[in-house]
Amino acid sequence: MCILRDIAAIAKGMSVTFREMFRPTIVENYPKGPGPLRGARFEERYRGVHVLQRDENGLEKCVACFLCAAACPSNCIYIEAAENTAEHRVSGAERYAQVYNIDYNRCIFCGYCVEACPTDAITHGHGFELATFNVSNLIYRKEQLLAPRPAHLGANAVFNRAEVEGGAPPVVAPGE
Amino acid sequence: MADVNITLDGKKLTAPAGTLLIEACKNAGIEVPSFCYYPGFSLQGACRMCLVKIEKVPKLQTACTTVIGEGMIVTTDSPEIHQARKSMVELLLGNHPLDCPVCDAGGECELQDMTFAYGAAESKYIDIKNHREEQQWSPVVYFDRPRCILCYRCVRVCGEGMDVWALGIQNRGVASVIAPNKEDHLECEECGMCIDICPVGALTSGAYRYKTRPWEMKHIDTTCTHCGDGCRTTLGVRRADTGIEIVRGDNRDKSGINGDFLCIKGRYAFDFVDNEQRIKQPLIRKDGRLTPSSWEEAFELIGRRFAEICGREGGRAIGVIGSSKTSNEENYLLQKFARVVLGTNNIDHHRTGDFPAFARALAGKLDATASMRDVFKAPAMLVIGNDPTNQHPLLAWQIRNNVRLHRSRLYVINSQPIKLRRQATAFAHIPAGSEAKLVALLAGDDSVLDVLVSENTPREALLSLRDRLRGEQNLVIIFGAELRGEEMARLVKVGSAVSGAKFVCLGDYANSRGAADMGLYPDLLPGYLPVTQGKTFREEWGGLPDAPGLTIPQMVDAAKAGQLKALYVVGANPVARFNIDPFAFAKSFVVMQDMFLTETALIADVVLPGANAYEKSGTFTNTCGDLQLLRKAGEVTGTKPDFEIIVRIAERMGFDVRKLVPFGGGMWADMGQSRGAQSGEADRHSVWLEAHGLETKLSPFDPMAILDEIQRLVPGYHVSRRTLLSGTDQHTRIGGPGILHNPELIVPANDDLFTSGTLGRYSRALNSVLENQRRKPVETEVAAD
Ligand code: SF4
Ligand code: SF4
Ligand code: SF4
Ligand code: SF4
Ligand code: SF4
Ligand code: FES
Repeated sequence: MCILRDIAAIAKGMSVTFREMFRPTIVENYPKGPGPLRGARFEERYRGVHVLQRDENGLEKCVACFLCAAACPSNCIYIEAAENTAEHRVSGAERYAQVYNIDYNRCIFCGYCVEACPTDAITHGHGFELATFNVSNLIYRKEQLLAPRPAHLGANAVFNRAEVEGGAPPVVAPGE
Repeated sequence: MADVNITLDGKKLTAPAGTLLIEACKNAGIEVPSFCYYPGFSLQGACRMCLVKIEKVPKLQTACTTVIGEGMIVTTDSPEIHQARKSMVELLLGNHPLDCPVCDAGGECELQDMTFAYGAAESKYIDIKNHREEQQWSPVVYFDRPRCILCYRCVRVCGEGMDVWALGIQNRGVASVIAPNKEDHLECEECGMCIDICPVGALTSGAYRYKTRPWEMKHIDTTCTHCGDGCRTTLGVRRADTGIEIVRGDNRDKSGINGDFLCIKGRYAFDFVDNEQRIKQPLIRKDGRLTPSSWEEAFELIGRRFAEICGREGGRAIGVIGSSKTSNEENYLLQKFARVVLGTNNIDHHRTGDFPAFARALAGKLDATASMRDVFKAPAMLVIGNDPTNQHPLLAWQIRNNVRLHRSRLYVINSQPIKLRRQATAFAHIPAGSEAKLVALLAGDDSVLDVLVSENTPREALLSLRDRLRGEQNLVIIFGAELRGEEMARLVKVGSAVSGAKFVCLGDYANSRGAADMGLYPDLLPGYLPVTQGKTFREEWGGLPDAPGLTIPQMVDAAKAGQLKALYVVGANPVARFNIDPFAFAKSFVVMQDMFLTETALIADVVLPGANAYEKSGTFTNTCGDLQLLRKAGEVTGTKPDFEIIVRIAERMGFDVRKLVPFGGGMWADMGQSRGAQSGEADRHSVWLEAHGLETKLSPFDPMAILDEIQRLVPGYHVSRRTLLSGTDQHTRIGGPGILHNPELIVPANDDLFTSGTLGRYSRALNSVLENQRRKPVETEVAAD
């Protein structure tokens, strides 16, 4: 009796094991998976490394209002503002961020900065492979955070300036 | 005035008759919002934000234009009032851009606050906004018209407060715009008062605009370093690669002696601080060239050479020149260093007012000096000489607004038609250089009348002026460097016949008075005590040289004769100021500490990079004798405060610094640790100690350690440390016997609104204004230097 009961118990347990063996996997096979993301998959609203967006003219959206820095609970955004001039126009408004750093040693990816931004300039991208052997590499500068220039403004080698001047091709910029 | 009974929101109150309802509310702790009302200026009734309900009056009334009446029953908040105010904000926002993220006012904007308070954020107007491009009116004033809410504060402060009238209103009704009265630009004193008083971001400052945001800065109250008036200026600072950068100057908290006022220099001319010509490394002359070196090497050299010269020839062979822009503590320390460490009385500074004669004239009189606040309250004022509008902008503001708000009587006597004559009850235009004669006339000597009368000023005018002055009470008498020595003594004698008379002797630089009080004279110790006396100092310091030392011109002669072997210049530029022949000091060892390579650097063997008043703590005494605190705002890597440099040189000379700076004193106290975990105990303890000047001074570089000694030994400086540390100005009495000097030794600075001695040359803001003026054809005559 006792033996039978034991066998039944084992069989019941193993049945779970075998059942699960033939189900499709849920865990991502990162980093050994296929594709450029090596198996990683994102939810749309995943909060990764920030992207500083540009407007349709390729100008930076950030107007250096410091609201993200004020909202940030870990105080990791550092901005220096400067004034746009007719010769040197960086953003659409009077002011732009001459320096914009995010210190990923401290960022907790809470998204408060994104919510605070009045111009939708700072957004969360999907970048997540931040690990490094040197902490100073974790301070990202504006150049690292900025979205690429829209393709019709010359970021894509396929479209050079001459073609743009002859009428911008109907291409949607990546990320737009 | 009789009191009136009113009921505010159910509270029964009394207030003096004639009080405005909005002020009565404020005093009762009830906030009534306002845009156009500003205390001290004419009433406008333009913005309708201050609407309140007065019982028995059918419509809502503006609290800012209503004078309280007996039995008035007022409600300041109700759904009706709330709705009315909300509508007002909505109307204002009708043509207001959505600019807050880039607007300089964002974060300290009254319109933003009101929009939040009344929840008027959504716009009900669909019409396209009437946009206008931003305009630049002057190097420091920009105007963004869509942001303007037409409160007219700027127009009133410029006209009524500054008596400049550079701003006006064009058009009527909705089409009204604020505009300069001169075509498209301002011809004004560039004080920036309009920018400061603007409740929104319509007027922005060229020096600060679009640089940062108010909450990103630290705000540090300190004292302006440009003229002798000592305005409180609040510096906004932030971290920078070079140390701590000053980005803005304004007067956020209006509790200083200057109230609402700051002139262009206090507001914008902090920018000499990060001028690229600033020296940031000690320089030593090697093979005729000033070569960068280390602090160590420089101190070593100076200590060795000074000790050598002192040992071989005695202190007589060294001269020291102090500054009128360094703090009281540094000045006191410098003269102590000269007298005790070097053993010489050869110490002097650039004198711009005859304070020793002033002390002598006032000896034995109590309460005979007026503070800057007194000038605003005096029932009558007499101004002899000087041009306060240009040389003492704050004093001029106090005088003008005293006349305007308190109907004070102003008597102006000057050899130039200075601007203050516009406020004067009587103006006597006298020939240049005849101020002394005028004093004689006031004293009753009619024989000088012939010299004084001119076509502008007839005999009768002068005589009636004298009669009116004799009939005054509590007169404040202000005089410039035109009156010195015996003439000043005579004026004080005549003036003292007026009951309650008080005096102000004008000196030009930020701490001219402090330098004089601290004894930067070859024949006077701190507190105007002749060196031949000074028993307390002898006991305290253990001996002093007895014979008076050399003045600056005498030092030059001694150097030419080869008797002055070394010269130590702290924060001064004597070569430019006194036109000294640079070769005079060819054989002397000259040490200089300053921010820039000035003319004096030509003769220097060692140049040490010093810090300015915005980069150190300490105290300044303004020309009236008001003692105020300096707080450290900025910092430039590589420089050191003059205080530290002096102490380090003394140390290198082998002197026991403990004898120079009594540090380490105070109370060694249990800072609350033994009281267990009662939080705040330790804090309260140290606050108390600090307020009583008992905190431990652990370093010889702590200026507060010397302040203890100053307060103990210098007459007139026993003021409350607690009040001083809280940032409030304190009036010091001018003390001591004083002395008569050769009046020739006084060289007025003759700065005007846009110059500030050597400092001004390194300020971008001041230079841009000067350059802008040069480009324009000069219409009005500028007062001669
Ligand atoms: S995600 Fe959060 S922590 Fe990170 S920068 Fe934004 S506000 Fe700061
Ligand atoms: S990212 Fe957005 S919130 Fe941050 S400074 Fe730029 S505009 Fe302002
Ligand atoms: S003036 Fe005030 S409300 Fe208007 S844009 Fe500037 S901060 Fe915003
Ligand atoms: S510019 Fe500023 S102070 Fe002048 S009226 Fe407009 S809002 Fe008022
Ligand atoms: S009046 Fe004098 S003390 Fe005041 S801000 Fe101007 S220069 Fe500075
Ligand atoms: S504050 Fe009363 S109408 Fe503007």
